[in-house]
Amino acid sequence: MNDLLLSILVHLQITFTGVLIAAVTGIIAGIVITKNKTVAAIVMSLTDIVQTIPSVALLAILMMLFGLGDTTAVVALALYSLLPIVRNTYAGITGVDKGLIEAGRGMGMTKIQLLVKVQLPMALPVILSGLRMAIITALGIATIGVLIGAGGLGYFIYRGVQISDLTMILKGAVPVSLLAVFVDLILQYSEKKMAKKAKRA
Amino acid sequence: MKTIKRALMILLTAVITFTAAGCTGASDKKIVVGSKNYTENMVLGSIISQLIEEKTDLRVEYKENLGGTMVCYEALKNGQLDIYPEYTGTALTAQLKMDVINDADKVYDIVKEEFDRQFNIKWMKPFGLNNTYAVALPNDFAEKNGIVTVSDLVPFAGELVFGAEHEFFDRQDGYDGMVEAYGLEFSGDPVKMDIAMKYQATAQGRIHVTDAFSTDGQLITYDLKVLEDDKNFFPPYYAAPIIRKETLEKHPELESILNELSGRIDDQTMQQMNYKVESEGMSTREAAREFLKSEGLID
Repeated sequence: MNDLLLSILVHLQITFTGVLIAAVTGIIAGIVITKNKTVAAIVMSLTDIVQTIPSVALLAILMMLFGLGDTTAVVALALYSLLPIVRNTYAGITGVDKGLIEAGRGMGMTKIQLLVKVQLPMALPVILSGLRMAIITALGIATIGVLIGAGGLGYFIYRGVQISDLTMILKGAVPVSLLAVFVDLILQYSEKKMAKKAKRA
Repeated sequence: MKTIKRALMILLTAVITFTAAGCTGASDKKIVVGSKNYTENMVLGSIISQLIEEKTDLRVEYKENLGGTMVCYEALKNGQLDIYPEYTGTALTAQLKMDVINDADKVYDIVKEEFDRQFNIKWMKPFGLNNTYAVALPNDFAEKNGIVTVSDLVPFAGELVFGAEHEFFDRQDGYDGMVEAYGLEFSGDPVKMDIAMKYQATAQGRIHVTDAFSTDGQLITYDLKVLEDDKNFFPPYYAAPIIRKETLEKHPELESILNELSGRIDDQTMQQMNYKVESEGMSTREAAREFLKSEGLID
């Protein structure tokens, strides 16, 4: 049981570190590209392209740069998580009611104030839903980290398949699914709360 | 808002320490051994790891079950791994991109020389086992009819049905080549089936002869006999440890230590170890340890 618990923790650590890196860079990128439509198109097609690289291939390429182990898995997950985060940040910010922005401007808000006090709070539910998608996907993708020597629940699934041991496969697969469902519920709940708040504001 | 900020700070610190920890490279006193993604390679990797651990004061890190030949090989070239077990036939065809050669010694000599010259990787002496394709059939039938080699099978072939996984029919060193080389004429058309089913189907008599990996532990499970490839039709896949030249220069004692394993693991010994791990639930580490002890290589 001990190795299972450790694997769950490592799995969560890899997933959340990856998504966190993607969230920081992705949200900033998502905000910056709202200033220029061409740049936005380029950045988003770049994140699209990353998404289409098969995960095993991406891991193999990153392994040459970051070595064997958790770091490579984290970088891969960060890259995969960029798409939903950048896209939703962009959509959230550009989707804010023009009237509200005009109103803010009328009150004499600076650009920064507008962003922090109007645009970001209004876009938060959309950004959060992007984040949720990223985390759920990353929880699943993290299982293949085992290919390049990273820890996590993938080991049980992979080894179980190799020696046709169903119990071992389930030992890895069930916690992954439960984690995904659990994280999904928590984030959905906070999304709804934020949406209500945004409406009230 | 303050709590969120604090939580973010904690997370960020975690990320930084975590990433930094991942970046610390191999130190002078550490050897990283790797293995590919199947039982046999994992057991061999564990044997190498435990032997080095026992015989030197080096710290051994064992990265088991990496995603296949390409991952291990690239990691070795880049210095993320120091040693892993490789097969002569794989090295010849997959890494050197050369055609299949049937002479086992010649293949070993070629890969040894080319890996040294092109990649700065040294081949140690082979373990002894040859994990190649083979022909297998139920032990009792073989015993009753005195069948030891594939040539012995030829007179019986007319009443036997051959079955194998799809890949065996597509390979240069597969079905067509085999029946031609030996003049085998099996009864009717060969049966194509899933690889997971073939041994069981043979043991149950649904097919009579199948292809096998010569060191497969399942051969023991289903009591199948591997026939000797007396015409050397199947290309040799002898396993041996391969090591970075740089690592060997730093720790020259590793060569004699690794070569202590030379010739000690034949096909049957490997079958037994694979069987123990895959069918009896022994860990790869235990199976490797048991072998090293029985050979008197460790206490």
